[in-house]
Amino acid sequence: MTATKTAGPARLLTQVAADRQTGALVVGGHPGGAVYVLEGRVIYAESPAAPGVGELLTASGRLAGRTWQTAIDQGTSTARVGRLLVEQGHLTQGELELCVLGATYDAAYFALSPTGAPVEFLDGAMHWLGPVAHIDPAAVNREVRRRTRMLDSIFPDARVDTAAVTPVARPPRERITLTALQWELLVHADGQRTPADLALLLGRAGFATIAELRRLAAAGLLELPEVRAEPPEFVRLPVARGAAVDVRRPPPATGDPPPAPPVPSVPPVPPAPSVPPVPVVRGPRPEDNSSAGPVNSTGAGTVYRPPRLARRKPGAKLPKEVAGEAPPAHPGTDEVLLKRIRTALRALR
Amino acid sequence: MPGVDHCLQEAMAIPGAVGASIVDYTTGFPVATTGAAPNSDHEAAAAGTADVVQAATSRSLLVSAVPHDLLEDLIITTAGGYHLLRLVHTEFDSRLVLYLWLDRQLGNLAVARRRMQKLADDLVAT
Repeated sequence: MTATKTAGPARLLTQVAADRQTGALVVGGHPGGAVYVLEGRVIYAESPAAPGVGELLTASGRLAGRTWQTAIDQGTSTARVGRLLVEQGHLTQGELELCVLGATYDAAYFALSPTGAPVEFLDGAMHWLGPVAHIDPAAVNREVRRRTRMLDSIFPDARVDTAAVTPVARPPRERITLTALQWELLVHADGQRTPADLALLLGRAGFATIAELRRLAAAGLLELPEVRAEPPEFVRLPVARGAAVDVRRPPPATGDPPPAPPVPSVPPVPPAPSVPPVPVVRGPRPEDNSSAGPVNSTGAGTVYRPPRLARRKPGAKLPKEVAGEAPPAHPGTDEVLLKRIRTALRALR
Repeated sequence: MPGVDHCLQEAMAIPGAVGASIVDYTTGFPVATTGAAPNSDHEAAAAGTADVVQAATSRSLLVSAVPHDLLEDLIITTAGGYHLLRLVHTEFDSRLVLYLWLDRQLGNLAVARRRMQKLADDLVAT
């Protein structure tokens, strides 16, 4: 394993191929990905922005999720999931090869198109799918560059590829013509899903998805995303809510700055001169601030007391209008997640 | 179990075949190739093939006039040959076309078309 360094992933792939190495080229950043090489030939690639073979086969209904999972369970440790599926008669050799080729070129675009990204080479790593296709790395690199040019010739704005997809409310023309995939994308775009989300949801190739989205953008059918400072997050992390700090709360003592959590949205409060600096007890709950904080001898009316909420006795049920219906249970979600984690861990062995 | 290479070998066994390839028509990329290509450039031929299929599927209303009236094949005739494009319908998401370049004198269009249909079906049939 080589140390992580920032480099052009495509150039590193050429290097690895020239040395006829075996392993995985792991590309960091967004979206990142990994390209698996066997003796200098590319056998598979994966990226969070491109559905893998499993997603393509199960999202389309070609394979039942259970069939796929069984093959994963049986074949991961020996890296022959692909061969198992063919031997057990679930797929034809042709389908498997075409699916792997398609998924590999698709993911390779996302993994290799950045000109600089943190890259590391895991020597000897093997993908659990096993060798199905053997592709010349030069052809992969050439194709990645061609795809980049192709996207730019459709609509030269890479923001479309990563930002949440929002269709315009009113088309800019009287009559519009859509392809089937464009229709699917528009129907499923809800202003929240990113192109990668849509590709996974629909089981469509990631590159085909962003190509169609750029065509839609060129036709004026998508709201263009605003310029964002930070790189787009592919994994949506729970965003910290704007902490409920009351503006009228007296400022903390100047001599003892508490380790304040980063709350960028709260405007700086100018220290009120009438309020003497009082040490504020910073409890975990926000209401502690109002009750324990201002032990205010002046009684200047700066004390803020939130409206009292109706108390519920311990163990009492929520009133019907508040409780509503129980959240829908997702049977098996945890199990699937655990199995995927297990699969990922096995692949690392 | 016919794989991609086997399928192309079979295509080349069609009387009059000069070259064959499987092309991803979203990107115009030859996924697999064999034999000769027009101007001996498989990648350029694939890009042209993709343009033709795109024109027929997305920019023409011929194929979408009737629901489920999917495009099956396209035949381009030149003075010297036939170019057969047979769409491969996989259940999973892919946009693939089987391309065959046929010599006009040696080849028989009707025979080649039937053989191509069988090849495209066998490639993905269980």
